[in-house]
Amino acid sequence: MVPAGDLDRAPHRGKPAQAGARTSRASRALRSWRGSQAARATVTQHEKGGHDPGGHGGCRRDPQWASAGPSPLSFTEEVKFELRALKDWDFKMSVPDYMQCAEDHQTLLVVVQPVGIVSEENFFRIYKRICSVSQISVRDSQRVLYIRYRHHYPPENNEWGDFQTHRKVVGLITITDCFSAKDWPQTFEKFHVQKEIYGSTLYDSRLFVFGLQGEIVEQPRTDVAFYPNYEDCQTVEKRIEDFIESLFIVLESKRLDRATDKSGDKIPLLCVPFEKKDFVGLDTDSRHYKKRCQGRMRKHVGDLCLQAGMLQDSLVHYHMSVELLRSVNDFLWLGAALEGLCSASVIYHYPGGTGGKSGARRFQGSTLPAEAANRHRPGAQEVLIDPGALTTNGINPDTSTEIGRAKNCLSPEDIIDKYKEAISYYSKYKNAGVIELEACIKAVRVLAIQKRSMEASEFLQNAVYINLRQLSEEEKIQRYSILSELYELIGFHRKSAFFKRVAAMQCVAPSIAEPGWRACYKLLLETLPGYSLSLDPKDFSRGTHRGWAAVQMRLLHELVYASRRMGNPALSVRHLSFLLQTMLDFLSDQEKKDVTQSLENYTSKCPGTMEPIALPGGLTLPPVPFTKLPIVFQWVQGDVCEVQLMVYNPMPFELRVENMGLLTSGVEFESLPAALSLPAESGLYPVTLVGVPRTTGTIAVNGYHTTVFGVFSDCLLDNLPGIKTSGSTVEVIPALPRLQISTSLPRSAHSLQPSSGDEISTNVSVQLYNGESQQLIIKLENIGMEPLEKLEVTSKVLTTKEKLYGDFLSWKLEETLAQFPLQPGKVATFTINIKVKLDFSCQENLLQDLSDDGISVSGFPLSSPFRQVVRPRVEGKPVNPPDSNKAGDYSHVKTLEAILNFKYSGGPGHTEGYYRNLSLGLHVEVEPSVFFTRVSTLPATSTRQCHLLLDVFNSTEHELTVSTRSSEALILHAGECQRMAIQVDKFNFESFPESPGEKGQFANPKQLEEERREARGLEIHSKLGICWRIPSLKRSGEASVEGLLNQLVLEHLQLAPLQWDVLVDGQPCDREVAAACQVGDPVCLEVRLTNRSPRSVGPFALTVVPFQDHQNGVHNYDLHDTISFVGSSTFYLDAVQPSGQSACLGALLFLYTGDFFLHIRFHEDSTSKELPPSWFCLPSVHVRALEAQA
Amino acid sequence: MAICIPVITKENYPLYICSIPTENELKFQYMVHTSLDVVDEKISSMGKALVNQRELYLGLLYPTEDYKVLQGYATISKVKFFMVVNSSNTALQDNEIHRMFWKLHNSYIDVMCNPFCNSRDFDNMVMYIMIQVC
Repeated sequence: MVPAGDLDRAPHRGKPAQAGARTSRASRALRSWRGSQAARATVTQHEKGGHDPGGHGGCRRDPQWASAGPSPLSFTEEVKFELRALKDWDFKMSVPDYMQCAEDHQTLLVVVQPVGIVSEENFFRIYKRICSVSQISVRDSQRVLYIRYRHHYPPENNEWGDFQTHRKVVGLITITDCFSAKDWPQTFEKFHVQKEIYGSTLYDSRLFVFGLQGEIVEQPRTDVAFYPNYEDCQTVEKRIEDFIESLFIVLESKRLDRATDKSGDKIPLLCVPFEKKDFVGLDTDSRHYKKRCQGRMRKHVGDLCLQAGMLQDSLVHYHMSVELLRSVNDFLWLGAALEGLCSASVIYHYPGGTGGKSGARRFQGSTLPAEAANRHRPGAQEVLIDPGALTTNGINPDTSTEIGRAKNCLSPEDIIDKYKEAISYYSKYKNAGVIELEACIKAVRVLAIQKRSMEASEFLQNAVYINLRQLSEEEKIQRYSILSELYELIGFHRKSAFFKRVAAMQCVAPSIAEPGWRACYKLLLETLPGYSLSLDPKDFSRGTHRGWAAVQMRLLHELVYASRRMGNPALSVRHLSFLLQTMLDFLSDQEKKDVTQSLENYTSKCPGTMEPIALPGGLTLPPVPFTKLPIVFQWVQGDVCEVQLMVYNPMPFELRVENMGLLTSGVEFESLPAALSLPAESGLYPVTLVGVPRTTGTIAVNGYHTTVFGVFSDCLLDNLPGIKTSGSTVEVIPALPRLQISTSLPRSAHSLQPSSGDEISTNVSVQLYNGESQQLIIKLENIGMEPLEKLEVTSKVLTTKEKLYGDFLSWKLEETLAQFPLQPGKVATFTINIKVKLDFSCQENLLQDLSDDGISVSGFPLSSPFRQVVRPRVEGKPVNPPDSNKAGDYSHVKTLEAILNFKYSGGPGHTEGYYRNLSLGLHVEVEPSVFFTRVSTLPATSTRQCHLLLDVFNSTEHELTVSTRSSEALILHAGECQRMAIQVDKFNFESFPESPGEKGQFANPKQLEEERREARGLEIHSKLGICWRIPSLKRSGEASVEGLLNQLVLEHLQLAPLQWDVLVDGQPCDREVAAACQVGDPVCLEVRLTNRSPRSVGPFALTVVPFQDHQNGVHNYDLHDTISFVGSSTFYLDAVQPSGQSACLGALLFLYTGDFFLHIRFHEDSTSKELPPSWFCLPSVHVRALEAQA
Repeated sequence: MAICIPVITKENYPLYICSIPTENELKFQYMVHTSLDVVDEKISSMGKALVNQRELYLGLLYPTEDYKVLQGYATISKVKFFMVVNSSNTALQDNEIHRMFWKLHNSYIDVMCNPFCNSRDFDNMVMYIMIQVC
């Protein structure tokens, strides 16, 4: 290729017009056609001319992309124009044929036009039939003639027929209605006028007359065909074939005529319209001029050969022409010759055609490509056979060498190079804009077939910047649509979409009086794939959106607007819904508001539905459910008829969701829709959707429906991105009663966490002091429709660290069940006793400063050191003001939690074995009441009794009284600690079962011991009956020592296993009261041993030693003179069997009056020394000897 | 003058777009979007040559009528950088644009390598290029 600069500097002698033709050098896109040599330039389509051709200076550009200037012609003026005379001719071809392709160069152009008033329908019926005759084999099928029919053709384009003969209208077919012979002359005249328009170029013409009958018809005419009507015209095709034959004859003669111009004759100079005036006064004898004439003529002959089906010949002529024209720098024609070369080569290489459907159709039913290629060969042979036909003096006569070269037509790569070159020459001429544009399009089609998209895009890019003139809006639409199609052809979908969108916008440009919103909408829809935008929201529901959100949003907005202007609000709503649903993340707060506002405006007229909308183009717009408005996060299966959703509002304003209900299947379901209003950008928000199943079976919850901004949405769970499950199924069972419970206690804010899926319907709470009891009255109301027949109550105490004594919850169900069956609407009561009895002990030394007063639990006093009667006594020794911290520790509130489970049934559900469960959570806060800070025992006077000493601490803030069964109340101020002594009968624990039932088999000894201890504790507790009372609050409760009795204390409270009883005169003598007897009378003394232990004991020896207590600490044992034993004072016992009894008998004789004590001394065998001392509880005997009553 | 600097992912969706605030960013988005056809074509046609020669500069992609020119640059991982340059600035040489793309690429790599993904450095680099090229 010749560098641009050289071309520009080349002498343009004799072509003054070219300077003017060269316009807007700098007004073109920067081209990288020549790689690095490409300089940067700027482009504007609106810049028109004005540049000095030589003054391009630093702004270098490739000349091939020059543009043509404007022309004031438009499609709409076309018809008027045809009727105008040719005088105001502009010499510019201004109407490009965007559909042109390379193989059009081999066609003959025939114009088919109506004359007079012919209905469009009739005209096109005939036109179609004419068009079906698009190729004709002539000369024994050796050559094929191709015909291109047009029903519109601008006559100014015809003027370029010499330049490229396929632009020349060579045939004219006129179709007319004529019903009477009277009209015939006029009709025929019109035909002639019509012929005048293309007269200069026409080879032949035909007139088809419909409707005329009579004698005129009888006269056979070659140029007129008569048909009675549009149905009865079978010979049209035959007529056309004859017509084409006649065209061929003319063509062939012209070809031969031009090809055989003798050297002596002057070869005329062929011109394009705008050149004509430039050649006036030129020296026609110069070699330069002659060469120019020869070159142009060669090119022309090449065209004719191509049209006449002689491809190889045409190649030869084109090659020769190129050489001739190149030598004289006749650029415009050189370009045409090169393009001819390209066209012929394309026809050779791509017999299937490059023009898409039309090209394929043209070839359809003919021959295979290879055959087609061969078919052109005979033409070349003809040249060989008849070399004289080409031998002229002026033109190189020796064609044989040329044929050898020409046989190798351009390679596919060369085709593109030559196209580039040709276009670069065309671009030098402002008036050849259409030629250049069409050449670009032709090249693009070739490149598309060659799959060379990059180069094709460069050609297209150039075509974009060819500025013909001020285009009409219609032409602009056409132009952009074609560009879009061509980009699509080369696989540039984005570019294609871009131009399609521009075309769509052009349809509704403000300058258009009647905007074509329908066309605009249709074109916009076609751009969707290019912007990778589908209108199915399912494609957007998975994962994050990836794409050109801003661009896509713009497109959606345009669709919305176009559909609204089309008058289809349903489409607008659908598109707007889609925009809102899929692009929510990319909308600014303001945009969200705007979009929803307009959506609400639309839906007020046309509510959004869940129906797919079918478009005329076969496209279906799927429904757009608002799964993001609100966003549903979780589905919580609640009751049978209740589904909870967690939703949130992503919008920056309050979102009103109306008519939100469940979508279910399987069971007749009455959904009760809810309306909710979510605050702006709410957090997660629970929504409960309810409904009533009307039949039994399995119900599937598939999704939910909403109405947001007036758009109905059916949101299926499958399509929700945030949710894993695909709906839940629930079995609907026969009807059951429904129970509602209400309690006497306040509801608790504290909700229990049920352990195993149970749901707590109600929670109640109560505050109790330790040891206090309270009744919980539960009202059971049957709020269902079925009678309540069965009720089971179970309770479960939630694990707590606290040791709980006694029954926490107890109830008697019988009273309640007596009220059953409970009819709907009726109420039954159920009473539960709550008793809290936690540990009353202080694990720590709460009151350390409560000093030991010397009373010890240790030791085993065989006899009382004091004779005084120990009564429950109070040692008013207030504790030091309790340390607030410490007190805090002990006023610590403990909690107990339990779940009451009501299992109930009735009605038809009961017969099928279904139950309902209802749970009541019970939350009890236990405040401490009293503490036993210390416990000890003191032996009582009787061996069967002892004193229990308890240090009681009032941990409440109220005055508190403590009482036992046997003693009066002890008043304790808040925080006070006092000791109380309780005289208790010793316990015979052995009488309790050793182990509770069969449990002992598998319970380990430690547990057994624990249980035994508990049983003892309970026994002691019930015997003691310690109660506290807070008078100010009128509350009372028990206080239990169960938790604080240790082993030592228990031993002391226990009756010794070996029980000694002394009977004086038959009376048991283990009393404080002295036994009375008379001096001189022998007193019977019996010592009994009862063995309560499980083993046999013995042998024992027992000595009764009398003494006198002088009450001053002196015991006088020297009483031999005052007391005499009848018999021995020592008794021997061999062995006492378990639970056996043995007795020793003796007698005493008191000789003097006085108070005597008997000390029973006990000897035992060394072997039985292991027996613990506590086993032996020896009584002390007090005998008072009185004067004998004479 | 760089007016807009977009970064496009391998899958051809925008990763990052920065433009000077006075300009209509949507216009640039259209511009880059329509250029992706050519970019794809160039990258696929260059194929291995691209990797071997480490020639990442795609050159001019899209000359437009309003003095703005789109320059492209593709990394080996097919992340693309673009630069909308005001073509009235004739002083701007190819090698300068080359160098700026190189800087941009390095900055992008730095951001990608940073597990804490602090894009501020990248922002700064983009701003620097936009100002410097002005």
